[in-house]
Amino acid sequence: MGTTVVNVKDVQKVFGKRNENQYRALNGVSFNIQEGEFVGVMGPSGAGKTTLLNVVSTLDKPTGGAIQIAGTDITHMKQGQLADFRSEQLGFIFQDFNLLENLTVYENIALPLSLQGVPSRKIKPSVQEVAAKLGITNILEKYPATISGGQKQRAAAARALVHEPAIILADEPTGALDSKSAKSLMEAMVHLHKNHHVSIMLVTHDPLSASYCDRILFIQDGELYKEIFRKGSRNEFHQTILDALSEFTSPDEVE
Amino acid sequence: MLLKLSLSSMRKMFKDYLVLLFGLTISIAIFYMFETLAQNQAFIESNSMISAIVFVFHVGTFILGAITVFYIFYATSFILTLRQKEMGMYMTLGAKKHKVTQLMFFETFFIGIVSLMIGLTVGVGLAKGIAELFMWQLDFSGEGFEALYPPSMITTIIFYVVLFFLTSIVNAGKIARKSVLNLLHAEQKQDHVKVKGKKTFIGVVLAVILIGVGYYAMINMGQLEHYGLILAAITIVPGTYLMFISFLPWFVKKLKGNRSLNEKGLNSFTLGQLRFRMLNLTKVLGTVAMLIAMGLGAMTAGISFYHNVELQASAFYANDAAIHQPTEEDETALANMNITEQNTYHYKVNDQGVYFLKEDLLENPPMIKQVDPTSMEIPEGTRISESLPEAKYKFEELPDAWSTALSMEMNASSSMFGGKSIYVVDKGNYHDISADETSVELLQVDNFTAHLSQFETISENQQELAENYRGEGAETIPGKYGNYVGFKAISSGTIFMGIFLGVAFLMMMASVLMFKLLSTATTDTHRYSMLRKIGVRKSLLVKSIYRELFLLFLFPALVGLVHVLIGMQMFSFIIIEPYTKIWMPISIFLVIYGLYFWITVKMYKRIVLPKEA
Repeated sequence: MGTTVVNVKDVQKVFGKRNENQYRALNGVSFNIQEGEFVGVMGPSGAGKTTLLNVVSTLDKPTGGAIQIAGTDITHMKQGQLADFRSEQLGFIFQDFNLLENLTVYENIALPLSLQGVPSRKIKPSVQEVAAKLGITNILEKYPATISGGQKQRAAAARALVHEPAIILADEPTGALDSKSAKSLMEAMVHLHKNHHVSIMLVTHDPLSASYCDRILFIQDGELYKEIFRKGSRNEFHQTILDALSEFTSPDEVE
Repeated sequence: MLLKLSLSSMRKMFKDYLVLLFGLTISIAIFYMFETLAQNQAFIESNSMISAIVFVFHVGTFILGAITVFYIFYATSFILTLRQKEMGMYMTLGAKKHKVTQLMFFETFFIGIVSLMIGLTVGVGLAKGIAELFMWQLDFSGEGFEALYPPSMITTIIFYVVLFFLTSIVNAGKIARKSVLNLLHAEQKQDHVKVKGKKTFIGVVLAVILIGVGYYAMINMGQLEHYGLILAAITIVPGTYLMFISFLPWFVKKLKGNRSLNEKGLNSFTLGQLRFRMLNLTKVLGTVAMLIAMGLGAMTAGISFYHNVELQASAFYANDAAIHQPTEEDETALANMNITEQNTYHYKVNDQGVYFLKEDLLENPPMIKQVDPTSMEIPEGTRISESLPEAKYKFEELPDAWSTALSMEMNASSSMFGGKSIYVVDKGNYHDISADETSVELLQVDNFTAHLSQFETISENQQELAENYRGEGAETIPGKYGNYVGFKAISSGTIFMGIFLGVAFLMMMASVLMFKLLSTATTDTHRYSMLRKIGVRKSLLVKSIYRELFLLFLFPALVGLVHVLIGMQMFSFIIIEPYTKIWMPISIFLVIYGLYFWITVKMYKRIVLPKEA
């Protein structure tokens, strides 16, 4: 603990060309994530959550400011380097799973390792280890089309974890899941965080999912609006989050 | 109202439809082109060396028809995938099911009819263009060939209207059977990969048996004749399709089963793509393989016939020309040739006969060819070694080899000297004959076909000479050149047909595969963008695309090539050496195919690769 994994400094993101209708999605956002931290990012629709995730995940470039991940400045890297950086340092979990449906679950999880040139004999134990952590050992040989949403998301989480990235970026991972699957997925993530010191950045608008985090960043209109820390039980934290949400100036946008 | 909606959305999706229209149009154009030959019985009968040519074309029509049915059914089902989501949308907005079904029927039919009209126009144009190009190249008048041939037009129209009608019903039926939700979410549905071991095994065995029987029939075409052709057609076509349907998916699965290969870099993705594709592609790949086989086969046969002309011409002659009493013009012609052997034989001609000097003949014995009627092989030229001990021979008393040399190689026969007798005499007797001495030149050149114009001059002069002796209009002077001209006249029709059809089939092949690959490309886009997200370098994605498409191109090419290599046996009873110049059509094919692979990769890349900032 103590090392900074993600360091976001005064990040700006403006869409649209100059002299045209410009839209300021991020307006000077700064925050840190320490190693082994489980941080949630919340905010109403259109607040800039996804944009923030995209720039942190190197999929998009900020128009201003600096981002460091695991000590590397990613704002000035080339496309090819960024791709390598993503495959080595980042793990992704998306709302719509983004598993490759033409590969088995096993192959999906193994893909990041294959991409890094890990020899085949070392891949198998790693995949099985991570699958065991997420409780999906029995579906490894199945295709994504034949398993449930919850299982898919666990498979996606396994793929995000298998190459031991510096941080896992999760974009509404429970968005497409029923409440039971959502709960078990969040519990699995807490388990990873607690027992394996995995750093996680979770973007969500679901207060229940957010209540599993250590700390929540609230974003509104492209700016950091509030930051709350978890003290006490998860239920209490859930209530704190709900209270924080109700403070937003445009409550009709909050579900 | 619905009709208006569907028309406007068709206009919106014009780009997608363009690919479809292009595919259909080419298919129709090629079918029509084939029929302009197949149905023009008078033309093919008078221009072919194969007596059963009409029958060959019937079989060809059958094969092409079968392939076309496969292709059209596939291509029109593409309309369904394009449109089903929107059809589902209409239904959620309250359109009645039978309305939507009707709409689907009319749309499919409408596109069919439009492409039929364009296809026929293109077909006429292509038939005319290609015909003129090759007729000019081959120096072939092609009398009786008509690019705009009404009977073929009618056949094509009937065939395709029926086909489109059927496919429209099928499309409408598919829409009718699906629920609204299925239609709306059709795009998210995935095909399930199921390769059942036992079924695959039976399929592979059956495919091998069918193709084996077909190959047997082709190799023994000489004995089996018509039945052989029918047998080959009805076994190889389904055999090829079965091969692709059963063997290939199994093969890719086996490849994937190899862990260390599968888990290297992007291989698992490439193979996974390939495996999923294979299921949709089996029929298309089968079609492509058949088209390659037919196109390449027709072209190879055409070129072999072309090559065969010279071989046949030289079957009876060891020397390339015999020049009696060379004129100045002949000498100039000789000076322009690369002569490898030239011998002069003196003789005297008087009213009774023609007297060859024996010593000349023995000093430089000429080469001859002795044809063995039981063998298909071209005899090798041999030099006469027999001696001539007597002082004087009448032509009939000469040993066989020498009479062949005189009558064939030197053309010392009635076609040159009319009714005069031919003698071979020794020096003493030769001196006593009171007549002017003259001579005949026997020559061999390094490359016969390179000197055709000189041989033509020589042949014309010889003909004048022959007319002097015979006092009448003589027919063509026998000899290698005469034979060459004769064989060329009868085979150029066959050559023309071969090349014409070869080009047509290869064009259709190109459109089929390209259409298929590009029409499914959009659904692959999200896979590539996903890979980019998890950090795959663009160069790696490009490599994966090259590999995947390369394999897809490779399989049908291999099968098609094997078909052609074995299929050329079919012609072994009519073409002397069917394999001698086979590298030529094969390299033409490889160049076209390679070029076409490259274009497909370029276009595919443009569709699927994520745009990076």
